[in-house]
Amino acid sequence: MISRTALALGIACLATPALGHAFLQHADPGAGANLKSPPARVVLVFTEKLEPVFSGITVSDAAGHNIEAGTAVIGGNSIVAPLLPLRPGRYRVVWHAVSVDTHRTEGAYSFTVER
Amino acid sequence: MPAPALAHGVVGQRFFPATIATDDPFAADELALPTVTWFDHQKDVDFDYSKTIFPGFAIEVGMGHVNATLPGEARQRGLDNLEISPSLELYRDPANEFILTGGLEWEIGGTGSKRVAERSSTYTPTIKFGKGLGDLPDSLEYLRPLAVTGTVGYAIPGGGEESNSIEWGGAIEYSLLYLQNNVRDEGFGNVVSHLTPVVEFSFSSPTDGSGTTGTINPGLFWSGQRVQLGAEAVLPVNRQSGHGVGFIAQLHFYIDDLFPHSLGKPLFGGRR
Repeated sequence: MISRTALALGIACLATPALGHAFLQHADPGAGANLKSPPARVVLVFTEKLEPVFSGITVSDAAGHNIEAGTAVIGGNSIVAPLLPLRPGRYRVVWHAVSVDTHRTEGAYSFTVER
Repeated sequence: MPAPALAHGVVGQRFFPATIATDDPFAADELALPTVTWFDHQKDVDFDYSKTIFPGFAIEVGMGHVNATLPGEARQRGLDNLEISPSLELYRDPANEFILTGGLEWEIGGTGSKRVAERSSTYTPTIKFGKGLGDLPDSLEYLRPLAVTGTVGYAIPGGGEESNSIEWGGAIEYSLLYLQNNVRDEGFGNVVSHLTPVVEFSFSSPTDGSGTTGTINPGLFWSGQRVQLGAEAVLPVNRQSGHGVGFIAQLHFYIDDLFPHSLGKPLFGGRR
């Protein structure tokens, strides 16, 4: 009985469309990256589609100043934030994401542009 | 659209996987089916289902089947007692990845088989917590994926000759997902980054001084979008606790992710 129920739920897992928490699947630049040339943008890719109104990103320098060149583009399962020209230094990415089924996740990490 | 939901295992930037040997501090919609344990001449198959009644408050129902063959004794098998465990999240601090939860575990005596289950009920008021170490300074960045959970309860048997006892335990976890996404991208693939090495510990200390028993369980969890797999070795801490090395494994379903618009949302109050 138990094994049948577990099997049925396992099939449900495979059969239902992808829903759930939007966890960060890929980031460019990634957490802890040491870059020889400054990135033009930050790209975050998530495991689920996002609700743009409730998702967002800030990228700031060591002094806490925002360094985004414009409004981030949030669509599908990604966030793309264009950046101002970066000097060498350490930068902080802070994001929050709400998946289309309304689950919220958030995260933060740093990367460094080397001299 | 409705307000964002805070669901299973997430506080701030931290995701806590569901633990096996001890209860985690989340009131969530989830199902553990089955949890299979081989330890000390006994095989148990259990299920636990947790349902949120309103955001931050859930009631868990659990039951299991016991199959014990003690040396020199006849095999005993049957259903264990039904357990009902309401739990209420008392405090959340997302910035510091901290959660505190209170609950009551009620083992209902006489609901299981006479051969394996107690006839009297046991009531265990319990405090549970979870704390991620993501607020450590950058100089300790490789410790930031660590998290601990803990549970302390006072078990009060409703009858019989059993002593009251302090039930305590917890888990130490190292999240590769946290390492990958929040500290340093080590290039883990999609499978490896969802692994969490864990050591759980579960103890019982009777108040009559008859000696603490318990196990230490090193293991590994894999947490997907809708399902979690976990497996641990079971190591008794002394002879009183059992003999030999055991094994425990669990298949765990995140009902709030599987059925977010129906079974996986609170009965009342919408989402927090």
